[in-house]
Amino acid sequence: MNSMDQQLATRPANYVQRARVWYALLVLVFGVFVIRIFYLQVIRYDYYKKAAQSDQLKQYVIPAARGVITAHLGDGAVPIVLNQKLYTLYADPTIVKQPEQAAAKLQPIIGGNVDDIAAQLKGKDTRYTVLKKRLTPAQNKKVLGYKLPGIGTEEQDYRTYPQGQMAAQVLGFVNDNGEGEYGIEQALNKQLAGTSGQLKAVTDINGVPLAASPDNISVAPVNGNSVGLTINVGMQLGLEKILKAAQDQNKSKDVSAVVMDVHTGRVLAMANYPTFDPANYQNVSDPSVFSNDTVTNPIEPGSVTKLFTTATALQKGVITPTTSFYDPGSWTVDGTKVSDVEEDHSTGQQTILSTLDKSLNTGATWMLMQMGGGQIDAQARNTLYDYFNNHFMLGRATGIQQGNGEEADGILPGPKDTGSGINLTYANVSFGQAYTATALQMVTGLSSILNGGTYYQPSLVDTVTAADGTITKIAPKVAAQSVISGQVSQDIISLMEQNNTNHIHEGFGYLDFGPNYSVGGKTGTAEIANPLGGYYPDKVNGTYLGFVGGDSPQYAIAVYNLEPTKYSGFAGAGTGQPVFANIAHMLVNDFGVTPKS
Amino acid sequence: MTYSSTLALGRQQNLSRGQNSVPFLRSADKRLGPVSNTVVLIVLACLLGLLYLTQVTRTNSYGYQINGLKQQQSQLQQQHQDLSVASAREQSVDRAASSAQAQAMTPVVPSGSVR
Repeated sequence: MNSMDQQLATRPANYVQRARVWYALLVLVFGVFVIRIFYLQVIRYDYYKKAAQSDQLKQYVIPAARGVITAHLGDGAVPIVLNQKLYTLYADPTIVKQPEQAAAKLQPIIGGNVDDIAAQLKGKDTRYTVLKKRLTPAQNKKVLGYKLPGIGTEEQDYRTYPQGQMAAQVLGFVNDNGEGEYGIEQALNKQLAGTSGQLKAVTDINGVPLAASPDNISVAPVNGNSVGLTINVGMQLGLEKILKAAQDQNKSKDVSAVVMDVHTGRVLAMANYPTFDPANYQNVSDPSVFSNDTVTNPIEPGSVTKLFTTATALQKGVITPTTSFYDPGSWTVDGTKVSDVEEDHSTGQQTILSTLDKSLNTGATWMLMQMGGGQIDAQARNTLYDYFNNHFMLGRATGIQQGNGEEADGILPGPKDTGSGINLTYANVSFGQAYTATALQMVTGLSSILNGGTYYQPSLVDTVTAADGTITKIAPKVAAQSVISGQVSQDIISLMEQNNTNHIHEGFGYLDFGPNYSVGGKTGTAEIANPLGGYYPDKVNGTYLGFVGGDSPQYAIAVYNLEPTKYSGFAGAGTGQPVFANIAHMLVNDFGVTPKS
Repeated sequence: MTYSSTLALGRQQNLSRGQNSVPFLRSADKRLGPVSNTVVLIVLACLLGLLYLTQVTRTNSYGYQINGLKQQQSQLQQQHQDLSVASAREQSVDRAASSAQAQAMTPVVPSGSVR
């Protein structure tokens, strides 16, 4: 018998039994654990997995950077809209301690009234109150440096404008929700905004993503496209100064102008005054100032329309540039007398040039009559409507990249006789009343005449640069060809030049550009319709359509000077023409108008 | 009686005179017993677990490194953005026009057109 057997033999009889009991107990406890673990890990697997993930799995939206907007300056391009991180200062009043002292510390940084800030910090009915938006990084650092309980800052991207208010209405702005409003920002919002990314990851207690989780999802954001505008910064700033000076001088309600490249339809400068500061759009009290009037505000353009009537008559072959006619002083159309503004008696024999120079309504009406074989009839109306609407695209939105449905169509009455004096309406249309068009429509239509008959869809976008750096050049888009013949184009250019020369001789010396440049134009003084019927007796708009060039027209210019109150003579010559002249001089002096060869 | 003592008794019974007392070991006798097997498996499982944990820890430490680098990248991008804004502001036409150099320039009458 070995020693082990001897030890067993000496133990009490119930030893084995007690050992078995303990063993069974252990097995039982172990079994309970196993069952519990099985219950928790297998049966309740989904529940606890979700509970754990809700605590550990964090989801973040990674915002895409909004594309920047650039414009031409000299030979290059400069950013005119950029992004800048600013901070929103907020407080949780339930946590804030000593609100008066906290307010006293914050006030020198954020401005405002100490008592008002303290009152916000004391309000216990909310756990989130915004104390100040758009804190700069320096201000943010100062505020956080105080380590005030219950007060924090949130980072947010804002647009910033290095050139200040320049082209505010063309650009629009981005609201606090990151959505573009008005102008380019709204029209190209989708392109500029890009697509947000997503990060879904198991994180540690500090929210730092742990790399070793199969549940992690990381989708990188796609930054927005950057947009290069056709706008020339120097020209735009110059135009804005001219418009501001005009508004100050004429005490107008609004002054707008567009400068277009005649051969591409590209808008080089486009401005309105009054304007606003897009960086502080929230401080604007009258939201109408956000609108780009050159595309949103169609008016009856007045006698500048005579250029289009003349082009139509020339194109139809019913007149020549040298045709003369007898002006009786008035025509009776649909029982109503159509006369000139200045004279109500016969002015004798007149020419096409004198019709433009003296701005004879009777002359424009006479040209319309020639389209109907000597009278205003369906043929005359159809012809004028066809050219105005389908050739020069007046009374039709151009599709320029402005706003979302912001651009106005204007109104061009249809030629059909509905028994409401349609012939009289068309007589009025021929000299610029009874229809409405925007400044952009007018300058684009004029460009199509000046360049020999190609109607380019006006555009503000020159290039689009994708997030990966791919640059897409936006080519000029031809909307219609042969809207008039080359010969008619030359005739109109010549008539406009002669008209300009006549005006110089009539005392408007500022229209003299010397022998090296070709400059032409036409004034317009438009009556303003009263919504209650008829026209206001004491309100008019001054307009101007013209061009600057050398051997051929280079820039087309439209000016709308709305409701000027301080000027001499007619509003067109007294307010539209000087603005045109100032713009033309700026272009000749600073923007490379090619002189005559 | 334990398993090993039973084995010892069995061996004694089978011995006869002149027979080699060193047992001839067949290949089947080299197998580990069930306890050893279990122990080895547990040790292996522990080793695998340890290996897994070290790898996960290392990967997570890379996660922290990545996070740090991303923060650095973000800060640099932020700096770049701030500098771009500052640069654009410095180059703005209004600022250039109101600069001391511009103020010191002598205006000339443009030769391109007559006023």
